[in-house]
Amino acid sequence: MLTFVTVILAAAVLVLLAIAMGWVLGWANRAFYVYVDPKILEIQDALPGANCGGCGYVGCNSYADALGTGADEDLTLCGPGGTSCVGAIAEILGIEVTEVWPYKAVVHCAAKLDERLLKMEYQGEPTCAAANLVAGFQGCIYGCMGLSDCVRVCDYDAIHIVDGVAVVDYEKCTGCKLCAAACPRNIITMVPFKRSEMFVVACSNDDFGKEVQSVCTVGCTGCMSCSRVSDMMVMDGNRPAINYDLYEDFTDFEPILEKCKRSSLIFVGIPTEGQVAAVADEEVPERIEADFQTTVDDTEWRG
Amino acid sequence: MSTATTSEATFARGIHPPEEKHLAEGMPIEILPTPASVMIPLLQHLGAPCEACVEAKQEVAIGDKVGEATSFISSPVHASIDGKTKKATVATLPNGRHVKVIPIKAAAEQSISGQDLFDDVFGGEWPRDGLDAYEPDAISKAALEAGVVGLGGAAFPSHVKLARNEETPIEYLLINGCECEPYLTADYRLMVEVPEAIITGTLLAKHATGAKEAIIGIENNKPKAIAALRKAAEGTGVEVRSLKTKYPQGAERQLTTAMIGREVPTLGLPLQVGAVVQNVGTVAAIARAVLRGKALTHRVITVTGAGIREPKNLLVPIGVSYQELIDYCGGMTEDAARVISGGPMMGFTVGHLSAPVTKGTSGITVLTHEDVKKSEETACIRCGRCVDACPLNLVPTKIALASRAGNAEVAETYYLQACVECGCCAYACPASIPLVQLVRIGKIMLSNK
Repeated sequence: MLTFVTVILAAAVLVLLAIAMGWVLGWANRAFYVYVDPKILEIQDALPGANCGGCGYVGCNSYADALGTGADEDLTLCGPGGTSCVGAIAEILGIEVTEVWPYKAVVHCAAKLDERLLKMEYQGEPTCAAANLVAGFQGCIYGCMGLSDCVRVCDYDAIHIVDGVAVVDYEKCTGCKLCAAACPRNIITMVPFKRSEMFVVACSNDDFGKEVQSVCTVGCTGCMSCSRVSDMMVMDGNRPAINYDLYEDFTDFEPILEKCKRSSLIFVGIPTEGQVAAVADEEVPERIEADFQTTVDDTEWRG
Repeated sequence: MSTATTSEATFARGIHPPEEKHLAEGMPIEILPTPASVMIPLLQHLGAPCEACVEAKQEVAIGDKVGEATSFISSPVHASIDGKTKKATVATLPNGRHVKVIPIKAAAEQSISGQDLFDDVFGGEWPRDGLDAYEPDAISKAALEAGVVGLGGAAFPSHVKLARNEETPIEYLLINGCECEPYLTADYRLMVEVPEAIITGTLLAKHATGAKEAIIGIENNKPKAIAALRKAAEGTGVEVRSLKTKYPQGAERQLTTAMIGREVPTLGLPLQVGAVVQNVGTVAAIARAVLRGKALTHRVITVTGAGIREPKNLLVPIGVSYQELIDYCGGMTEDAARVISGGPMMGFTVGHLSAPVTKGTSGITVLTHEDVKKSEETACIRCGRCVDACPLNLVPTKIALASRAGNAEVAETYYLQACVECGCCAYACPASIPLVQLVRIGKIMLSNK
């Protein structure tokens, strides 16, 4: 009987305590209420919440504040959010937006390991920033070093080193610019993806023809042939750049590609369904899986 | 001041790596035969690059200016052989700079070569009286015109250091004859063979800077150099002091502490404690520039290391390729593994041997596989050996690990910027952590902010 009373008492005390505290919290909520512009809250919901910092603010909420208060008028800073995010924010703020292109990362180097001159065995810190301080790391002083600085900063697993050169996975790339900031050679730029596949200059070597040929078998020699056949190609120093303002209706890539003797001009991005279908019948090389078991016995025991 | 007066004066901490000077120490300076072509880089010094002042296919004579200094901290460059210029191109120097170079193809007839060249550069009379007749400004101006830069390695334009400073008067002119870098013997040979030129240059620099005292500091592993300079300095008031053999004795902060017992403030210059430091090779070049009006076209270089067949000390024209010097020294041995511009502590690995020698190149060291064998990097156990070795009283491990973590701010609070990258910490580290490289990355991160 006594235990029953004790249980009831304890339960009653707890219930009363809960009611009292609930009342205090409810009172505090009203007494200390801070007005937040509902627009800002809506923008916060519209942003992806990745907090990548690509917009230049410390996180999504700070960018939302800046947009809501009018401190920043540029709606297009969010790479991960893409076009849909811009549209949503524009609706919340009641602004009309013209078409916005998703910007994605493009690596301006496509020289695989066997296509470039490698100079010496590198023994230092295995990062691009460190290797970039060493003159003889590889022949080309402009191109990708393949030591993964960009891979490490990518939050979306969208860039990888393949055959010694950084390759972007356009299914995943959100255009947050972190890789571009991490690259010590500044060979990653953000390109407006006006189509799913984009035509890019995959070389950043600014030297003269002979020097480029001595260090790389695919790099651009600055022959200017492509710039002669098309207005879209403009020379920037010793290498061409693409004028993406003219890109919208442009389809005449054949003559440009024909002129380029060095395979510096390539398409990157997500192939269209037609292209996938075109190669669907081709034979896929058989893939041999690695067998890690066989080497176990050879390794030294380090205990 | 009490420490400075003992004969074995030195600084705190530092290391003592194997000297390896025996390889080239006994080889008298040889004169390299005029190469078929040279490449004159337009940036050979610390500061702004030069602007080319010659056209392609222009006849130039030895000593003609080919690049004009563009700002106060800059230095002109000169043709080092007689010949014809070619179209300017680019070359990557061992320090990683990608610079414009002017190639010069040698003429069949050279106006000066062989022993005549040596006599012109270092031989003949070096007067020591009547030097006060030169205006201090004229000395600094002659050094600028001749393109004299610090020949110890950093290649800081000398005319800047020769100018009088009204705010902080210079009391001491310290001449660095330490050559603390292992393997290198170029300065040593210069001190043994032409001490008179060094003394004359010292007196000129002393007069230009208005220093009250001039002291030459030499490590005590070079008794012949000390004896030769003491003999040459007799009656001139220049003191020659023997210092303890320790790396980096020749670094300007450490030398100032060792010689006059004054500590250079962190991130400051020796000038702030009333001292200015010049290398022995630099003062010899100043003497040549002032008394003979000759530009800095040649320098002494040590080609050494276990990977070189015949180690030598050579008088070479600036702009000659590494390959040519190595070939002249009998080429590389079979087990040669790495070519370094400079010595093993401060030097840069040379990526391609076609690179030209610059004013700051003090030597070429070729190491063997045995020398460059790298042990596996292990974790830092906070043993503190890098702290014991750091001549600047820094905590290298903290700086390096902050830099590796990408946190330049933390590295800066540990005085990242004060590091002179002497390499003592990395040498002492039992875990083989590339401390200096990490420090350099940290500095770049900070400058990119």
